Amino acid sequence: MTSTAPGTIDAVRDWIVGKHPERSPVDQHIDLIENRLIDSLSFVEFVFVIEKASGTSIDVDTVDIDDFRTLSAIEKAFFPA
Amino acid sequence: MVSDLIEANERFRGILDRLSTKSIEDYYNPYRVFEWPETLPENMWWMSPDLTSTHGSEVVRDLGEEQLHRLSKYESVNFYSLNVHGIRELLIEVTRRIHTTDFEAPSEFFHHFIGEENEHMWFFAEFCSRYGHKIYKQPRGGNASVPASEAESLLVFARILIFEELVDYYNAKMAQDTGLHDTIRQVNRIHHQDESRHIAFGRELVAILFDDFRVGASEEELRNVERYLKRYVSYSFESLFNPQVYRDAGIEDPLEFRSTLLNSPTRHEFEQRVFRKPLSYLVKTGIFRDKNLHVA
Ligand SMILES: [Fe+2]
Ligand SMILES: [Fe+2]
Repeated sequence: MTSTAPGTIDAVRDWIVGKHPERSPVDQHIDLIENRLIDSLSFVEFVFVIEKASGTSIDVDTVDIDDFRTLSAIEKAFFPA
Repeated sequence: MVSDLIEANERFRGILDRLSTKSIEDYYNPYRVFEWPETLPENMWWMSPDLTSTHGSEVVRDLGEEQLHRLSKYESVNFYSLNVHGIRELLIEVTRRIHTTDFEAPSEFFHHFIGEENEHMWFFAEFCSRYGHKIYKQPRGGNASVPASEAESLLVFARILIFEELVDYYNAKMAQDTGLHDTIRQVNRIHHQDESRHIAFGRELVAILFDDFRVGASEEELRNVERYLKRYVSYSFESLFNPQVYRDAGIEDPLEFRSTLLNSPTRHEFEQRVFRKPLSYLVKTGIFRDKNLHVA
């Protein structure tokens, strides 16, 4: 577990918008991978951003890619309600 | 056709022959050549200090010598782990092309390349398992950002070249570093010897593929290739900063530690130093317009 204080999904959204300002606003349900907002070169950093914002550590061996597809799925999987 | 370009290029065919002959002459049995002591001493640098991810940064002032040694141990295991994963990926790409029409001419060389990389992967994995008791993994996901296009082989071989040059910068330094344990120096020296052939090959092939590509490419397509490869350079550099390593070295907030290092003012100088040779090459061939990696 990391010692980062839990935050909100906004940090994740802000990071995506920072990389693709022309695609703002990023919808909760848009498929980030299909729409190339995240690709294989940004995926690693993306996982770290989610870990940091949520305060959960993500086990790369058991990653289910569908948990990363949309902001809504990310929130459900990694941000405890 | 790539095959026509290679067939017509006498110079390149000469180089291929020479590199293949050299592979045969330099051939060694990796399963016999290494000495693997039972353990390596903990209280030493496992990686040259100026290659560790904290080098030149303010954060090292908070770390004692013992912790720096421990950090260098896990950083070295991360470095060899990156090799294992990088080699798997390049083997997939080269294997996909060997004895296809386009790559008939370099296929003889590819046999050596594939054989040698398999052996490299073995000794890097061996080092990780023996002394680090693990191979670090990296999160993998997202679609391959190599746009499937005319540029596909160009991007694949340019990536392989960038990766091999990055590794070679570390290998060449550690092979020479008398402060490191003999086993560590040996692993780096032997890899460096083989890679000098792979890099010589990569430089020739990438230049040929780019000359072919640029003839039919628009300015926009050329910029996409540059943008993509620059992202790949930075991605490769950032993979040297692994939060799991920092966690294993007992650093309190590994993610924060990583971003501090990556956002520090010394980062660009470090990145430029590590990639000095490939960046010069990429500018010289016209693939890059400049060496600036961080463009919006
Ligand atoms: Fe290698
Ligand atoms: Fe190689």
